[in-house]
Amino acid sequence: MIKFLLNGVIRDKSRSRLPIIVVSVGVMLTVFLHAYITGFMGDALEMNAKFNYGHVKIMTNAYAENIELNPIDLAIIDVEDFLEKLNARYPHIKWSQRIQFGGLVDAPDEYGETKAQGPAFGLGLDILSPNSQEIDRLNLANSLVRGSLPANSGEILISELFSRKLQVNPGDDVTLIGSSMNGSMVMYNFTIAGTLSFGVDIMDKGSIIVDIEDVKIALDMNDAVSEIIGFLPDGYYNHKNALSIQDDFNSKCNNINDEFAPVMLTLGDQGGMGAYIELSQYWSWYITFVFIIAMSLVLWNAGLLGALRRYGEVGIRLAMGETKGHVYTSMIVESVIIGIIGSVFGTFLGLFFAFILQEYGLNIEGMMEGASVMFPNTINARITTMDFYIGFIPGVISTVIGTMLAGIGIYKRQTARLFKELEA
Amino acid sequence: MKLAIKLAYRNLIGAGLRTWLNVIVLSFSFVVIIWMRGVMLGWDHQAKNDMISFEIGGGQYWHEQYDPLDPFSLNESNAKVPDEFSELIKSGDLEPILIVQGTIYPLGRMQSVMVKGINPNQTILKIPTSKLDTVVNAIPAVIGGMTAQSSKLSIGDYVTLRWRDINGTFDAAELVIVDVFYSNVPSAEAGQIYIDIEKLREMMIMPESATIFTFRNSEADWIEVEGWRQKSFKELTKQVDNMIKTKTAGQSVFYFILLLLAMLGIFDTQVLSIFRRQKEIGTYVALGYTRKQVVGLFTVEGTMNSILAAIVGAIYGIPFLAWQANHGFTLPIDASQFGMAMSQTLFPVYSIGLIFTTILIVMITTAVVSYIPSRKIAKMNPTEALRGKLQ
Amino acid sequence: MKAQIVFINVFFISLLSFCQVNADYILKRVDENMYSENRIVESSMTIHGRRSSRTITSLSYSVGDSKTYTEYLSPAKEKGTKMLKLDNQLWIYNPSTDRIIQISGHMLRQSVMGSDLSYEDMMEDRKLTDIYDSEVVGEELINDRKAYVLLLKANVSDIAYDSRKIWIDSERFVPLKEELFAKSGQLLKQTTFSDIKKIDGRWFPTTILYKDMLKQGEGTEFKMLEIKFNQNIPEHIFSKAALRQ
Repeated sequence: MIKFLLNGVIRDKSRSRLPIIVVSVGVMLTVFLHAYITGFMGDALEMNAKFNYGHVKIMTNAYAENIELNPIDLAIIDVEDFLEKLNARYPHIKWSQRIQFGGLVDAPDEYGETKAQGPAFGLGLDILSPNSQEIDRLNLANSLVRGSLPANSGEILISELFSRKLQVNPGDDVTLIGSSMNGSMVMYNFTIAGTLSFGVDIMDKGSIIVDIEDVKIALDMNDAVSEIIGFLPDGYYNHKNALSIQDDFNSKCNNINDEFAPVMLTLGDQGGMGAYIELSQYWSWYITFVFIIAMSLVLWNAGLLGALRRYGEVGIRLAMGETKGHVYTSMIVESVIIGIIGSVFGTFLGLFFAFILQEYGLNIEGMMEGASVMFPNTINARITTMDFYIGFIPGVISTVIGTMLAGIGIYKRQTARLFKELEA
Repeated sequence: MKLAIKLAYRNLIGAGLRTWLNVIVLSFSFVVIIWMRGVMLGWDHQAKNDMISFEIGGGQYWHEQYDPLDPFSLNESNAKVPDEFSELIKSGDLEPILIVQGTIYPLGRMQSVMVKGINPNQTILKIPTSKLDTVVNAIPAVIGGMTAQSSKLSIGDYVTLRWRDINGTFDAAELVIVDVFYSNVPSAEAGQIYIDIEKLREMMIMPESATIFTFRNSEADWIEVEGWRQKSFKELTKQVDNMIKTKTAGQSVFYFILLLLAMLGIFDTQVLSIFRRQKEIGTYVALGYTRKQVVGLFTVEGTMNSILAAIVGAIYGIPFLAWQANHGFTLPIDASQFGMAMSQTLFPVYSIGLIFTTILIVMITTAVVSYIPSRKIAKMNPTEALRGKLQ
Repeated sequence: MKAQIVFINVFFISLLSFCQVNADYILKRVDENMYSENRIVESSMTIHGRRSSRTITSLSYSVGDSKTYTEYLSPAKEKGTKMLKLDNQLWIYNPSTDRIIQISGHMLRQSVMGSDLSYEDMMEDRKLTDIYDSEVVGEELINDRKAYVLLLKANVSDIAYDSRKIWIDSERFVPLKEELFAKSGQLLKQTTFSDIKKIDGRWFPTTILYKDMLKQGEGTEFKMLEIKFNQNIPEHIFSKAALRQ
């Protein structure tokens, strides 16, 4: 019977087209919305992860204790070796070296003497190695105000406001005065490649972004790095996965009695992100729940409408002697088929649009004052495994319930009235 | 027109469950959109209210050198209280705050802080300054929850504060933490210590000096005072506005999808109505209705869904929204355990404009969606339609 | 009875004035040991970090208290860095950047090469006797040496440390220990002097340990490897141009 009905659904366009379209659109919206909400809620979290916290972050015990001071003297040493081990143990995680440091940036006049000077917050990250993802991660290309991204070692990015304060332009040289890993005062010359907008006052005021290898040379951090941040394989934070990696790492590598032993923190452990993670999970859940209920009602209605559309057909079939029960069952099986076909289509379409939004993002530039590092001007969707099945709940179940309710009418039909309807 | 509305109403009610399903979904859109916009508005209010209560009052005057982001300039960014302010200060409608740089040594670790001198009897800000009058063997100090967490200090703890007075002479004293407050305002808490302004002036040898002044009322009369910059409420809350703007932009996509979903139901219903009621359409035309009028009739019928939805939405929505506004939307998490700067309970706020625009947008969208399939009527052959023949 | 009180008062006053003279006298004797027209010092500074200790050696030329020129000799990273102090101005030259940076404002409050000394601590070039009132408050044994304890109280306002306590060897007139206090009386920094040697007929401490008392840590150790007094130092060394050479 299923094969017969399937043929019917496929061949009789009038019977299948509109219901399938409605189910598909409904399912598509559900899938898309879920992916969107997940992405939207996760954006702030990912932003924090990308900029500072990572999905997991490794540092020394002593560093973790004084983390707000960025004490580079408490950095992890023998990094190359350590990274190799990390990559071997957690091959699916993308590790990234970071150094946050403070210092003074000094702009020279024509005689090489101080023209202007200001305190700076520095962020060292891998800009120059060819397969580094850090530039994309921090939206650096889009946040450029003037100049270009660093292409050679010794080139840095500086916040636009800071560059104006120091009266320097891309191409100019500035000197960083900071303290080295062992506390000596160091000076290092950099060339400004470009200026950036961060979108947050405190960062715009005085920030520089420097290639990690340059920072290591400048601050005398030979084979040392203060933080190693890791990103989970699909690029999105998953608290459970992060926790299990943290447990594994800390049980193997950490030793609370050694202040320089490495320790791992998850995104949730840092800067109140834990509360935000829970918050966003609940929000996504609420929103999805409301939406699925609404979606179910719409598809239920669509099931009702679909059955009504075929009032005439049902009449003929009853007139020809089909039992009411048989007609009813066949309609329900049909609705299951339509529900499945619609849901498959819808899920596919929903995933397709969600994927586009995940890759390219929704541009909200019109509402923002230009792109910046901390406020990306796009909102991105995020596809999770749930998106592959969530559409089937309203898509199949509601369609079938709608048909079931509408089909009850068949039992109320009177044969005498049927013929009258057939005349029309 | 009256007849059209009456007819439309009968038709809709007659369709029974189908109509009600559409209406319920549409009413969802109403309630959810109003609620979510209300939460955003409530958040905006909460954030600004907290800023008013703990940081900015009704607006501020800043010393022209003052830059909260540049701790090194702090010790130069204060001056004697100008005479123009003395009346307001006396009446308690303006409070001077002196801000200087200091270093605390919790557990032998060095930590830079902003030391804020504030009048213990002030009533403009909700910072528990009255505790600064506590008589103890050290200087009483109040800190925010964020500082308490980062420096691992709690009520009753002692900590050494080192500072340099106006001459650059080192001085140090023990502070005792007499209270910790939670404000949801990071800029009023992070890296800051509050002590009695008179004590701080004495410590710094900066008699009668201040760095900023905070007004009680936002409608305070601004006067130009040399050496001081006016910071209006709007300017001080710009960051909140920016954040709310981003969130609202993100949410509008959700509204759009929710509406789209409701419209899917309406559209489907309209298509079926026109398909099933050809005889009726033919009859209308035969009775002398112009096609336009018939299209209008069907459009009104579709649009009426949204009116019914508004009524149904009001039936369950008003109690729900009112309950939310009174009891707040409590986040199902314990934010305090993270010492986090956000309110645990958000109280949605609904403005008339918000409700009105939401209803208008839903109705117009419904009307458009009802109209689109109805256009088909205009192309119908009335005789065929009258016979009920499928076209 | 009344006479007795008067007598006691007179006795105290005379004792007090005796001490006053004494304190100035002691400081003058110290100056004779410590102060010279000019000097050339090769020294090492050992900074105890949380992780490791490191030593920086330098050669400095100074004339009186107002001019100092220092060149760092090792380690390699520090080699060639030069520092020039003229009155109350300070410049640092760094060979790898070929830049001369003036250290001013809040930068002066930063520590020198990660030590427990700030640039400002090094910059103070007013004589102690000019800015502090001193008195002898007692005698104590420091490392088996008899020492006068002097309390110095600031008599000017623009000064970093409101009071100091100095222990001075009562025979050799060299400082053995110094404590720097905040206005409130809180101890901020402590300096101890040791390895006192006789150089060119004067007693001189060749090891000095600085310690910031509010911070955890072992402090900074300063050792004079070689010291020469009253040499012929060419004037051009104290110019910014000399930094680049």
